[in-house]
Amino acid sequence: MEVLDFLAQGFATAFQWRNLLFALFGVIIGTSVGVLPGIGPMSGVALLIPITSSITGGLSPEEAATSSIIMLAGVYYGAMYGGSATSILINTPGESASVVTTLDGYQMAKQGRAGEALSISAIGSFFAGIMALIGLIFLAQPLSDLAISFGPVEYTALIVLGLATVSGLAGKSMIKALIMTVAGLSLSTVGVDTITGVARFTFNQPILYSGIEFLTIAVGLFAIGEVLKTIAERDYIHGNLQKINRILPTKKDLKDSSMPILRGSILGFFIGILPGAGASIASFFSYSVEKSVSKDKGQFGAGAIQGVAGPEAANNAASGGSLIPLLTLGIPGSGTTAIMMGALLMYNVQPGPLLFDKHPQVAWGLIASMFIGNLLLLILNMPLIRVFAKIIATPPKYLLPIILAIAFFGVYAVQVTMFDLFLLIACGVLGYLLSSNDFPLAPLVLGLILGPMLENNFRRALTISNGDYMIFLGSTMAVVMFIITILWLASPAVFKVLAKNNILNKEDIHTED
Amino acid sequence: MENRLVDRFVSLIFAGIGIALIVQSRTLTHSAYGSNVGPNAFPTLLGAVMLLLSIILLVKTFRYKRILEKTKSLDYRKFAIFVGLMILYVFLFEPLGYVLSTFLLLIIGFQLLERGKIVYSIIIATLFSGIVYYVYVSLLKGTLPPFPEWLVF
Repeated sequence: MEVLDFLAQGFATAFQWRNLLFALFGVIIGTSVGVLPGIGPMSGVALLIPITSSITGGLSPEEAATSSIIMLAGVYYGAMYGGSATSILINTPGESASVVTTLDGYQMAKQGRAGEALSISAIGSFFAGIMALIGLIFLAQPLSDLAISFGPVEYTALIVLGLATVSGLAGKSMIKALIMTVAGLSLSTVGVDTITGVARFTFNQPILYSGIEFLTIAVGLFAIGEVLKTIAERDYIHGNLQKINRILPTKKDLKDSSMPILRGSILGFFIGILPGAGASIASFFSYSVEKSVSKDKGQFGAGAIQGVAGPEAANNAASGGSLIPLLTLGIPGSGTTAIMMGALLMYNVQPGPLLFDKHPQVAWGLIASMFIGNLLLLILNMPLIRVFAKIIATPPKYLLPIILAIAFFGVYAVQVTMFDLFLLIACGVLGYLLSSNDFPLAPLVLGLILGPMLENNFRRALTISNGDYMIFLGSTMAVVMFIITILWLASPAVFKVLAKNNILNKEDIHTED
Repeated sequence: MENRLVDRFVSLIFAGIGIALIVQSRTLTHSAYGSNVGPNAFPTLLGAVMLLLSIILLVKTFRYKRILEKTKSLDYRKFAIFVGLMILYVFLFEPLGYVLSTFLLLIIGFQLLERGKIVYSIIIATLFSGIVYYVYVSLLKGTLPPFPEWLVF
């Protein structure tokens, strides 16, 4: 099988000592970032892009792209895991996907079973990662082949569909999410038009000719925004840290968790593939499934290990699954993958159907590194759980200013302009103000990333038809996608309602992962 | 928990942005070489969609139920101080150089969040700014603002 050859090559790439080191570094940094309160995977990945780009500076572009995407993927998994650790140890989810983990994880910790909860979540995540890997191997090629047959009309429809689904599930209000999407798309039009060379919305400022840098926006909105939020909400004063007694789960724990992990992995993977329905939705879904199949429902909320194992597996499988639309269609399914796409674009690697032909090393190297990343997480986290718990105990008064300093350093290192530093502050303030009023930020970043692609396809389609908009209804595939888009926007977001009704009426179910 | 006033205000801002997009697009050329779809088409469309969406949001704000707002006490003072601190940092970034400006940012930041333990603060701030500068500039050959000229030993 051809796919297996490619996979073998991918493993060869991922097992190069440099890439192993990058994966290891990524996972450690990711976990450390993930355990910081308020700093989720999105900020973690955004903060690390400049750092990866400076470390990989001496490599050839293709190698650099491979190494940095492997590291960023490591950060992503690590941050997801780190988020769970805070849920369990201090009852504070590090990111939205681990909100559910607090329900039973913290209860387990209070009963002195924090170590078991943490290790079962690592084991669950590992199996889910493997599951997502298998899914990727089988789906990657067929999906790419399908996408290659797409013309500009189909691509336009596909991007619109992707943007709509993400907006449909991000945050509380779909209208607000759509506004943010359009705002992101509009920001992407600033600068010199690539087709005609006309300067748009630059107000004769030369600094704007090259467009607004995505990295500055992402770091500002997420990292600075989150630090400001933590400061404004006085979130830096900590709760009590639970003790970790034993680390390995008992046989009974393993037996109880095996089915939830399996179910969570499959469920999470398929939810992850759907653009927009990211890891948070997957974890909520899995929790409600586990609760409904359990014979002893009263256990849930009182420290049921199934309530940790299932959702943890689901959220990790979903993070793996969300890489599929990114790699095969070039359309990121979540905020974090949008940022990873931005990183690939910085290296001139265009994710999408041609990725597997043009840059097989990057694509298969990343897929293989998923396996390695998850394995490293498992190996690292068992013995290092106590160390990461120490990081949680680090006073945030030191962490918050340092995160600010890293953000400024990162943006300056890549851009070397004062303009971007001011833009960074502005984005931080805006990010806090918008997100605290329920305007979700992930759709904006997604719009900013996908804007040029959408515009190019849109204009190419119209050029073919000589300006006739009916061309968008000329392809069955496109019409189907437009219909799904409309249905999606018209119907209340099904997943969200299902997931919400079943568990809790907390308002903080965002899909900004 | 939906804040009517804020949402109304924001929807007006976005409506304004939508109109500005449409108006500004009119100043762009309407055609491109070999195509009658110019660089103005996409922004115009975006402007229209933005305007439509903000009007929907504006209409929706009138249907919000009046909920007694649980006012979370927000620390706006510290928020504003930190924004000010960051602006100051950027202004001093090049004149003072990376190490000194970052040292100041960190020290002031640490102390603003919690007074005391000044020795720890100084050690951490020195280590962070020094190590970042050394690794990035000396080892990785990157560019960061150097120490100011009047301080070169």
